[in-house]
Amino acid sequence: MYRKKSCVAMLLAGGQGSRLGILTRHVAKPAVPFGGKYRIIDFPLSNCVNSGIDVVGVLTQYRPLELNAYIGSGAPWDLDVNSGGVYVLPPYHTGKTGEWYRGTANSIYQNLEFAKQYNPDYVLVLSGDHIYKMDYAEMIAHHVKHNAAATIAVRQVPWEEASRFGIMNTDENNNIIEFEEKPANPKSNNASMGVYVFSFDKLCSYLEADEQDPESSNDFGKNIIPAMLNAGECMTAYTFNDYWKDVGTIESLWDANMDLLKDPVPVDLRDREWRIYARNVGSPPHYVAEGGSVIDSLITEGCQIMGSVTHSVLSTNAIVEEGAVVIDSVLMPGARIGKGAVIRRAIVAENAVIGEGCVVGEEEGDIAVVGSNTSLKAGEFVAAGQQVGE
Amino acid sequence: MKSNVVGLIYTGDRIEDLRDLIRIRSVAALPMLGRYRLIDFLLSNMIHSGVQNVGIIMQGNYHSLMDHIGSGREWDLHGKRSGLTILPPHTSTVRGGVYEGMLDALYANLNFLRRSTERYILVTDSYLLYRVQYDDVCKQHIESKADITLLYTKDRTVRRNGWGRYLDINGDNIVQSMEFDPIIPHYPNTYMGAFLIRREMLIDLLDRAVAAGMHHFTRELLVQMLQERLYKICGYECPGDIWSIDSIQAYYQANMAFLDTRVRTQLFNDKQPIWTKLRDEMPARYTDTAKVVNSLVADGCVIEGTVENSILFRSVVVKPGAVIRNCIVMQDALINRDAEIDGCILDKQTTVREGTRMIAPREYPVVVGKNLTI
Repeated sequence: MYRKKSCVAMLLAGGQGSRLGILTRHVAKPAVPFGGKYRIIDFPLSNCVNSGIDVVGVLTQYRPLELNAYIGSGAPWDLDVNSGGVYVLPPYHTGKTGEWYRGTANSIYQNLEFAKQYNPDYVLVLSGDHIYKMDYAEMIAHHVKHNAAATIAVRQVPWEEASRFGIMNTDENNNIIEFEEKPANPKSNNASMGVYVFSFDKLCSYLEADEQDPESSNDFGKNIIPAMLNAGECMTAYTFNDYWKDVGTIESLWDANMDLLKDPVPVDLRDREWRIYARNVGSPPHYVAEGGSVIDSLITEGCQIMGSVTHSVLSTNAIVEEGAVVIDSVLMPGARIGKGAVIRRAIVAENAVIGEGCVVGEEEGDIAVVGSNTSLKAGEFVAAGQQVGE
Repeated sequence: MKSNVVGLIYTGDRIEDLRDLIRIRSVAALPMLGRYRLIDFLLSNMIHSGVQNVGIIMQGNYHSLMDHIGSGREWDLHGKRSGLTILPPHTSTVRGGVYEGMLDALYANLNFLRRSTERYILVTDSYLLYRVQYDDVCKQHIESKADITLLYTKDRTVRRNGWGRYLDINGDNIVQSMEFDPIIPHYPNTYMGAFLIRREMLIDLLDRAVAAGMHHFTRELLVQMLQERLYKICGYECPGDIWSIDSIQAYYQANMAFLDTRVRTQLFNDKQPIWTKLRDEMPARYTDTAKVVNSLVADGCVIEGTVENSILFRSVVVKPGAVIRNCIVMQDALINRDAEIDGCILDKQTTVREGTRMIAPREYPVVVGKNLTI
């Protein structure tokens, strides 16, 4: 018998994240490295444990291997507990039926049994592609206070960007009266963050009804939320205006990394009250050599810097050889920059090796990307916006 | 694969020349190389040699060591079938309480020796930093049909006049005799305070030694065994660099040696990581006024000043205009604006006030104790 939990979290981690191009060709988006020693999924997982939620189902489907290995027993997030923990939930066969997840709602539907084990009052639905620090307990308290069927976290986005988001139109009591997915002429700038709290019984009944509809695309935004609104359920918006960044594109992933170098920093990862936990690989402290130089950057364990690093984020075990220059760039774990190479406005993915004298990225223009495990021969050139690799 | 060696680490060494550094902690808990403690290297030697069952004999101020080791999870020593056993002093048993020597400690923990199932036991002191494969030691031990195998090094940097144990070893690798704390060591082989022996034989030896009124394993029991010549006592030469952390200068020099990339790559490699307790700090932050050369810097540091030839542990903050040269700065230390420190060892949570200057000769590094403000 499982102990009852007030709230169970379900983390949607099944999408490919194709807008991240070459970076997600071999790994699922939530497993993409971020901020030197983290991966994207560390943020929702750490938010969960910091909010007192210790049952997390991670719904995976696309290239789950690296993500599964990364999550492991859940120990890095204190989620290896007897009374709960983190569970990786791939699609499975039930004897008669069995299929891939058809949409975000369908993936939760297929795992309702998992949630039911804990007899929860609420289910928190999260996505695995945002960088933010959020106390979900406050959002759940808001949900309880309003006696809502569903609560959707929203944030004010600049009006000119509003048409890129799912927009929640609310009344004066912050109740949602209308939902518009990427409206051409938005009526409000309250964008959905993709963080939902549902009362569990309501969620079950709407998911079951949605399954009966062969026309449905089984998606929260397209189907479940509109169906609940149409039925007149109490839906409230929970406003969250702290730092939140969607890192679903190359540009936004690079941007979010650069945000960590701002002063004051918009999302403080030194906060002892709200630690972001990550799996550790056991590398020694980083070394800056005689002749090396580092300014305005984040550097983590295992890095070795013989060259020059400016305004960049270097991940575990990245190496910058003599005479190499790294500016405005992100080096992912194990990336190696050869002698005299110049890296500018670029993302160099895991274990990529940049040969001597290569030039990757340009001072202006889009972000250049070198894919994981890719080797560039000496002297190669990668233009702004170009992606090279397998 | 199941190992046939159980490890036992004795952390009761009191080395007075480490002075303030061990006032609040055991030698095994000395912070090393930016994010480790001395015992991490021994534990890593054990697990990378396949040893899965490890006991740690605690003595004296063992709070910080306990805090560091925890359940042993970071070293994958938290299993059910094997793992880590913390052996604090018993106050009520024979030879319990404060041990006079390692022999007392072993005898007080006879239960651990009896309960282990491995055929061999590797017993080690905890003041040395080195890398070795204990499985190779065991292999040689079995092949040479030795009763006891003693680890030694020919590295001259660990020799001390008036201190240490030196072995006379013949061409057949047999230990002939031992010098104990000689004013000038004659034998070229320094005993490393680590030996491998059949577990049942150790229990038997302890029993008889205690009956004969002995307290010290090396000085009394081993020396007597060497004189009696009834046992086959062999040596195993440890390859590679080795540091004896037996004084403040030695501690300082051992840490500083790791600014050399050759030394670092020999100890640290991806295949056999050195595990340690985690703090989940964010990566180190360098601002646009940071100037760092030839230094090791751990996560969580915020560097706005100048750092040269130094080792910064986790979460050290260096304010603008501050200059740190030839220093070891332990975790959570704060170096305020325009302070200048050179040749210092700052213990944990120390604060250097704005404008403070403290410059020590590198031969005699100054230690600033934990929590102090200067």
